[in-house]
Amino acid sequence: MMLYKLFLQQCIRSKEVWISLILITLLGIVGIVIGNKHLERQQDSIAEVKTYQEQHFDRQVSLHNDDLGLLLYYTNFAYINNLNPLAGLSIGQSDIHPTVKRITIKTFEAQKYDTDLVNPMNLQSGNLDLSFVIIYLFPLLVIVLTFNAVSEETETGTWRLVAIQSKSKLGFIISKLLVRLILLYTILIFLFFIAKLILNLSLDIDFFWMFGLSILYILFWFTVSFFIISFKKSSGFNALLLLSVWLMLIILLPAGINAYVTSKYPVPEALSAAIAQRDGYHVKWDTDKQATIEKFYRHYPQFKKYGYPTDGFNWLWYYAMQQMGDDDSKKQRDAFNKKITLRENKSNQIASVIPNMHLQLAFNQLAGTSMSQQLEYLNATDAFHEKLRLFFYPKIFEGQLADTVDWKQFVPEYYKTKTTLKPMKVIAPLIIASIVMIVISMPMTKRL
Amino acid sequence: MQWATIRLFAVHFWRNATAPKSFYLLFFIFILLTAYSAVSGIKNHTTQNNIRQEHQVKARQSWEANPDKHPHRMAHFGTFAFRIHPTLGIFDYGLESFTGSTVFLEAHRQNSVNFSEATFSTGILRFGELSLALLLQLVLPLMLFFIGFSSVAGDKQNGTLKILLSQGATWKETIFGKSIGLFAISLLFFTPILLVVIIALLLFENPIVNDFRWLRLLIIGMSYLVFLFIISAITVVVSASSNAPKNALLRLLGIWLLLVILLPKSAQAMGNYWFPTPSKLAFQSAIEKEVVQKGDSHNPNDPHYNHLRDSVFKVHNVSKVTDLPFNYSGFVMREGEKITAALYRKHQAKLVDIYKNQNNVTRFSSIINPFTAIKLISMTMSGTDFSSYIDFQDKTDDYRYQLAQTMNELQMEYISPKKESGSEGKTHVIGHEHWEDFQDFRHEPMAFANSMKEAFPALLSILFWAIGTMGLLLFISKRAKAI
Repeated sequence: MMLYKLFLQQCIRSKEVWISLILITLLGIVGIVIGNKHLERQQDSIAEVKTYQEQHFDRQVSLHNDDLGLLLYYTNFAYINNLNPLAGLSIGQSDIHPTVKRITIKTFEAQKYDTDLVNPMNLQSGNLDLSFVIIYLFPLLVIVLTFNAVSEETETGTWRLVAIQSKSKLGFIISKLLVRLILLYTILIFLFFIAKLILNLSLDIDFFWMFGLSILYILFWFTVSFFIISFKKSSGFNALLLLSVWLMLIILLPAGINAYVTSKYPVPEALSAAIAQRDGYHVKWDTDKQATIEKFYRHYPQFKKYGYPTDGFNWLWYYAMQQMGDDDSKKQRDAFNKKITLRENKSNQIASVIPNMHLQLAFNQLAGTSMSQQLEYLNATDAFHEKLRLFFYPKIFEGQLADTVDWKQFVPEYYKTKTTLKPMKVIAPLIIASIVMIVISMPMTKRL
Repeated sequence: MQWATIRLFAVHFWRNATAPKSFYLLFFIFILLTAYSAVSGIKNHTTQNNIRQEHQVKARQSWEANPDKHPHRMAHFGTFAFRIHPTLGIFDYGLESFTGSTVFLEAHRQNSVNFSEATFSTGILRFGELSLALLLQLVLPLMLFFIGFSSVAGDKQNGTLKILLSQGATWKETIFGKSIGLFAISLLFFTPILLVVIIALLLFENPIVNDFRWLRLLIIGMSYLVFLFIISAITVVVSASSNAPKNALLRLLGIWLLLVILLPKSAQAMGNYWFPTPSKLAFQSAIEKEVVQKGDSHNPNDPHYNHLRDSVFKVHNVSKVTDLPFNYSGFVMREGEKITAALYRKHQAKLVDIYKNQNNVTRFSSIINPFTAIKLISMTMSGTDFSSYIDFQDKTDDYRYQLAQTMNELQMEYISPKKESGSEGKTHVIGHEHWEDFQDFRHEPMAFANSMKEAFPALLSILFWAIGTMGLLLFISKRAKAI
């Protein structure tokens, strides 16, 4: 025990170590505060949309009570992707994709990809959230704490004493590293504790997953450092090499992979779908009305009883045309979805061999801010849209008055993201990476 | 200070630095990275522009294929504007992946610019993208640190510095000589990248668009030269003020982390925190509210439009809209478009001001951070920065306005005044030749003068840094100790 206490004293003796420990704790807290702000802003816009929606309905009903078709041309309904509080730790893609969508019952495809107000500079710079601190900065701290764990002994001349006096040189190095590992884990626990308080997190399974993965990730960086210092080179050399590894893993490889994915899988399907959707609807103004309505009834046979009104403008025909915007762009939409899935699978595949990328994606998945969860939300919005359509179509076609509808029932609806995490798939890459590092440092440890 | 001695130091530094095998390894890796970024940059540029141009043509074809119809139907048929990827985007991706590429332009509605690369990507895009500019801004400085950290501190440690100084060399000559030597090495890394960009520009020469690309490249090139000199000098200064190479290296790495990763990220985060972006709903309902106040053309009893009608009646001495010499519904829509567009622009300008305030924290941080200064110059001059994006947005909105108003005027002129409202059917139509007459949208890049104005503070700060570095070199030559 005495030995560990001395190790600890030796470790925190230097001023640089103190400064970096305090700096990372502060940055961690800043990250949590920024995440909290992100959640607060979403709550504010939810409150806004709630009050707005009531007034919006009142105004529309008073303006167009006798014309429900026209009313629904203007009226929109909110559908909210209520962020998991863990999103405050890993903001992920929730800053670029809208989480509060307001949609009309017109062509869904034309509204699906509308973006929020975002400053592209903020997006490019990325969020300084806790996930950033863990993924980028903790490894640096590991490097600062360990790069000279062995070399300082050789450089100050104490290594020979150690070699004679301790039972095992390997045991000596490992216990020295262990003290540093525990020091970092203490900071990590402290930060998660602060996060729990500030973000009001429930101590559920996802929270512990996030914590556990961070623990494994830091362990991985210790094994990297162990591998490098076991060569027993000079402190300067170790620092240089460790930083090069950091630069490679955290900056260059991901950046290279992004450049690869971007140029390998462009998404022209998105633009084609946009044009197909526009043409799908607008061209119907000039084509045979009967044909449009027949096509509409093929999709919704239950509405056949409303007949084929082809004389002049009528809402049945109008909404049939709007429906065609969605129906006629289905081919392009499917191609688009396929491409996005392909891209995501490819990215995940590559990321699984690079621990930091893997961890970022796992964090986003746990926090409900990943790309695939965004797609699920869009699909749920589609279902919500369909529900609205099916509710309003017969009322419009029958020419009902707007005040016969109970508008109170249309409060903003919430979507809750589902987190599907396969434990083995998430843990394995981190553990395998650590084991690989330990195995390749085996030959070195024999020659310490 | 003798030039010959400085040259001697510079040449000697060059020889020493380029002698070890590890230097060639470093250089080789850098060239590989350059080749990779160049290929993916060029590939991305050509595929994106092919996709966008192809869709611009496709959208136009279906616009022109419209039969004779009511102009208001065409105003809603609308068209798409696709942002053209600038040629220098090959060099610096800038915000390219985070700005949308496509916007649907129609009457009454200002749609968002959709489909940015980032919306198609998983969270890993936030790790950054490998571009030639990234190599120069982030990787090359680090390599210069690695090459130069022991330049003076190493001599100090092994005692050669004392000998040099006692033999008549001055501190000034040593430090300037080594800085120039390191700067020369940086050119070895910089030149291939510059050549690649020049070749790419020649390859994608586009005589139709005059975007001053060569002048832009000249400014980019000059700025990077100044930047690399600043980095080289700082390396030598830090090395001279450290007593051991190891300390010099740790300090330089600390500077790199602070200036490249922490400071830029914190600056932008602070801007975002201090100047919150309004929600889309707040933005839209503020406009909606003002429209209702000013005049809502969709409200049949709106006072503004009632008043307008009465005055039109008075001028033309009629009492029914159907007696007017033009189509009144088109007239009302023209007025409505004018009001809503003006209000939208007012609020959009306010929103852009909020964004600018957010970005200003970053822009002003370039005064203390040369890395941010060069980043801003580089992307502004490449045409992939924030202002170029806003410029595109403004241009599409101008075009949208023209489209809507042209269709409204066609309606006033050619649609019978007897047709009070509605745009359905085949009777009240105009010939399809009018559709071809309305020119397609063409994305003109941002004017060079505006880019210059945008980049000016950053250019100024990099100049100050250059002067400051000179001062620092002189200062350290007086203060440095040989032991």
